[in-house]
Amino acid sequence: MTSDLQPLQRRAAVLRRPDLRRLGRPAGYLVLAVLAWLLPYGLGGYDMHVLDTALVFAILAIGQGLVMGIAGQINLAQVAFMGVGAYTTAILTTQEHMAFWPAAVLAVAAAALMGLLIGLPALRVQSHYLGIVTLGLSLAFLNWVTNAPLAGSGSGLSGIPVPPLGGVDLTNDYLYYYVELLAFVAALAFGLFVVRTRLGRRMRAMRDDSLAAGSLGARIPVLRMTAFLLAGVYGGVAGVLYAGLIRFVAPETFSITEMFLLLAMVVIGGRQSLWGCVVGALALSAVQEELTDLSTYAQLGYGAVVVLMVVFAPTGLAGVPHRLRTALQRRAPGPESATVGPFRPYPPAEPRPDAGTLLQLDAITMRFKGLVALSEVSLQVRAGEIRGVVGPNGSGKTTLFNIISGLYRASAGTVALQGRQIGGMRPYRLAHLGLARTFQNLRLFRRLTVREHLLAALDRSPTRWAWRYVLWPVGVWRGERDLGRQADALLDRFGLAAFAGAIPYALPYGIQRRVELARAMAGSPQLLLLDEPAAGLNGTEKAQLVEIVKSIRDSGTTVVIIEHDMGLVMSLCEQVTVLAAGRVIAHGSPAQVAADPQVIEAYLGRAAADRAGQEQPVTTPSEEPS
Amino acid sequence: MIKHRTPAPTQALAYTVEDLCVRYGGVQAVRSVSLSVAPGEAVGIIGANGAGKTSTLRALMGLVPRAAGSIRLGERDLGKVAARDMVRHGIGYVPEGRHVFPGLPVEKNLLLGAYSRGWRTAGDGALGEVYEQFPVLHQMRSRPAGALSGGQQQMLAIGRALMARPTLVLLDEPSMGLSPKLVDEILDILLRLRASKLSLLLVEQNAELAFGATGRCLVMENGEVVMQGATAELRADPRVRRSYLGL
Amino acid sequence: MQVFLQTLVGGLSLGAVYALVALGFALVYRTMGLVNFAHADVLMVGAYVASTFTMTEHLPFAAAAAAAIVVTALIGLVIERMLRPLEGKDFDLMLIGTIGFGIVLEALATLVWGATGRAVPSPVQTAPLHLLGASIPSYDLVVTAVALVAMVALSLFLERTRRGVAMQAVAMDYDAATAVGINVGRSNAIAFAIGAGLAALAGALVGPLLYVSPTMGGSIGIDGFAAAILGGFGSIPGAVVGGVVIGLISSFSAGHFHGYSDLVTFTVFAVLVMIRPTGLFGERTVVRA
Repeated sequence: MTSDLQPLQRRAAVLRRPDLRRLGRPAGYLVLAVLAWLLPYGLGGYDMHVLDTALVFAILAIGQGLVMGIAGQINLAQVAFMGVGAYTTAILTTQEHMAFWPAAVLAVAAAALMGLLIGLPALRVQSHYLGIVTLGLSLAFLNWVTNAPLAGSGSGLSGIPVPPLGGVDLTNDYLYYYVELLAFVAALAFGLFVVRTRLGRRMRAMRDDSLAAGSLGARIPVLRMTAFLLAGVYGGVAGVLYAGLIRFVAPETFSITEMFLLLAMVVIGGRQSLWGCVVGALALSAVQEELTDLSTYAQLGYGAVVVLMVVFAPTGLAGVPHRLRTALQRRAPGPESATVGPFRPYPPAEPRPDAGTLLQLDAITMRFKGLVALSEVSLQVRAGEIRGVVGPNGSGKTTLFNIISGLYRASAGTVALQGRQIGGMRPYRLAHLGLARTFQNLRLFRRLTVREHLLAALDRSPTRWAWRYVLWPVGVWRGERDLGRQADALLDRFGLAAFAGAIPYALPYGIQRRVELARAMAGSPQLLLLDEPAAGLNGTEKAQLVEIVKSIRDSGTTVVIIEHDMGLVMSLCEQVTVLAAGRVIAHGSPAQVAADPQVIEAYLGRAAADRAGQEQPVTTPSEEPS
Repeated sequence: MIKHRTPAPTQALAYTVEDLCVRYGGVQAVRSVSLSVAPGEAVGIIGANGAGKTSTLRALMGLVPRAAGSIRLGERDLGKVAARDMVRHGIGYVPEGRHVFPGLPVEKNLLLGAYSRGWRTAGDGALGEVYEQFPVLHQMRSRPAGALSGGQQQMLAIGRALMARPTLVLLDEPSMGLSPKLVDEILDILLRLRASKLSLLLVEQNAELAFGATGRCLVMENGEVVMQGATAELRADPRVRRSYLGL
Repeated sequence: MQVFLQTLVGGLSLGAVYALVALGFALVYRTMGLVNFAHADVLMVGAYVASTFTMTEHLPFAAAAAAAIVVTALIGLVIERMLRPLEGKDFDLMLIGTIGFGIVLEALATLVWGATGRAVPSPVQTAPLHLLGASIPSYDLVVTAVALVAMVALSLFLERTRRGVAMQAVAMDYDAATAVGINVGRSNAIAFAIGAGLAALAGALVGPLLYVSPTMGGSIGIDGFAAAILGGFGSIPGAVVGGVVIGLISSFSAGHFHGYSDLVTFTVFAVLVMIRPTGLFGERTVVRA
């Protein structure tokens, strides 16, 4: 087994090494800033204009990167957001004779509003549906600007005033560059701040698995709308800068072709990295300009590059360094080894003798299109209990969990947690009420590290706190340090410290299960639902699981566990509930249940019953000599 | 539809595997596994999850690339045969987790089993036999396979494999997710298959089922065969009893 | 009444075209789980090829349409082959990849046929039919009939033939399909080629109704896509009904809102999707934890 692990251990070890690049980072930023400052001195007037346009697209691309690469929302209306910003500026200044900057503020607000409106379908549909709806809505916008007299009836609006800025003459492309540069740096810095802190982490978690992110307490609809709001604001800022630079707006600038060009920028640069988006935008703008007489060939070229990129380099240019590094590391020898560490038990809580009922289900019925998955299931779980739920496949166990954790709404019946009705509550609210769960088929986040899994799970702030990013970023930053400390403690407790920087999907299955358990425990839940936690574990790992679950219970968390491994159920649970065909057919201590003739008939089968009769008590993995 | 059609063997041949290796990235999932199934024999592979049983079976089918090893059926070398052509050499496969075609009616699922032999006409005789063996599938023949219960789906998956009239069937955890009562039924089915002179290679986590259905078993751990022998011997072995029978 | 009837028939023939586009989307989606964003551009290429053959080579319309189907089927094969490594891995990447192909096709069409576009004469010269005072162009009827025949042929193919059922099986389970002896790669390639062929047929039919240009795909594509979604993605009768509904909506909104018809159509579509995301015929999918 150890030799199997080596590449992973190596990777984990490398990630733990003090990161030299981190020291180099401020220096790198400084060099970049100086270069950006000096760049105009080496450029001719026309090139300057090209660069100014490219920066507008870079800001737009950051917005697209945030909504698509980070939040996973296929948005094909980003150029329309820029159009809203530019057209609002143009209409307010030329038709309403408003001054430039007040118009600009309103324009960004309008684009933000448009972001929210076009993002609305994301509440109901995702992926390709969302792509086509946003594309359709941006066509609707184009249709309006080409026809409405207010927007120049398709011939565009000219005569947008020069943005006034003290005595600075912004008709000068060189001076305009510095204004844009400031906006760009602010946009990028804010974007990076979002990505690397809790809001961005939640968005990435949602992108990878919205169901799991929701059951960790992220309010998915709010998060999706926040992503579209951000996209709208970035689009609006880009639009205002565009209006101030060109001082003329026309429908063609915001066409579908331009949208696809932006998409190409983001994909080629690397949609999951804001730096990648920026590089893609600048590079493609330059190429586009070089080939301006051959624009059709340019189009052919970037279309082909997009196809090649998605097939051969899906992470874009931004992913190239990482790919090189992993390719090199494969050859380098591993400096040290790391294995999953021992679990450090939780400090036991004071035993509460008079603990009442924590979870109460009354007459829960669940129908799917005529098929009755659960009928009149009632269940009480005392605080501090470990409750087993067993039953044949298809008996409704997971459906029951899905109802308790808010993924389904029961067709009839009530669910109460500590006497409070929770039936029909969304998963994020239940998470905040102290409910956590694991999933039968491990819903881990595909592109988050182990540590980020725990950080995302530890984050219990309401999703609407995103406003703090604008009004109180320092608070966000401080909270981040707290989260980091808690995550490290949790990593340590679950013996996962060696894998903090690894992507769970690259790790052995047993470790993935451990990560999921740690993630569920991050919120210190009152009630933990485990859906077949032992599936796929070997004997040693099952024994560890028994120990961990017992410690979790001793720390004051009530546990309900669905499991097929009867040995495990017998050794863990005080009380077992047996489901068959959607009904509770038995309830009691493991021994009582195992002897119940109805259970034997429905679940255990005759052969097993004979065996159970001869060879009790059943041996459990935890008692297995090692 | 004209296809290259290697005549499928009509009677069972010896199936021999030598030094099979499978790698995923840097991880070696199967190391140098050798096994053989004599004509009409039933062989089991048991082991915990992650021991490499499923990888072994998938590699034998060609569904995952083999890093090394040879596979022969009688005199024929199956090492270069594509997964989709295995069935044309008389090798049936019942995948882990059943994998029926959920949206298609039961009968079409079964007919697809005879796809390699030209679908309807060739499938007709076999269809009757499968229905005879699994009357419940006949009752359900026009229901979508996805609407069947777990046990019925398992029967469908086995029936589908039989439609091609294989000489050797590879079964991957037919007990998965089934209640012990249904596992007993699966055992009956496997015993009937054995009685009909089919060769079986059964991968199972449920050692009880594997011991009941086969005459000889291999025990896998961490990608390697650590033990093998007649089921009676293995059943009596204290290590096996402790690790796999929970006794 | 007259106007209503005329708009209705116009909407129906347009709807028949959308239904063909939607069928192509649905077929590829059902077999490969992939939404082909290049579909609209394939349609545009089909329209160009067909109109080139009828206008410059003076081929009969049916022969030109057949040629267009062959050319685009080949394009479909190329797209499928290129994106095959991504199949079943990253849905969003495949989606972006097909957008890339769309960009390429549009650029190629501009290079070959120029950016200006062309008007295509109707291949049917008979006088319009008069019904209840409304005059119905006979070509509209031809379009509707051809589309209907194509749909019936496609569903017979999928339900009754060995290859068709195998294609559905591939869509449901790759490994199991392989194990029963189906060549999954070839099956997907054929699905893609048929999808592209349907788009070409739609393009050939729509050429004389609209104006053929490199950017014509944009809105027909989205309308066709809207039809596919509305019908419940992947359902064939759904695609037909969805096509007709979208055809009628755009026909009537063109009558009522003139220049703003796109605005109205796409907004209505967005609202419909929000009200019923799984479409009119789609299965309600259950979230599985």
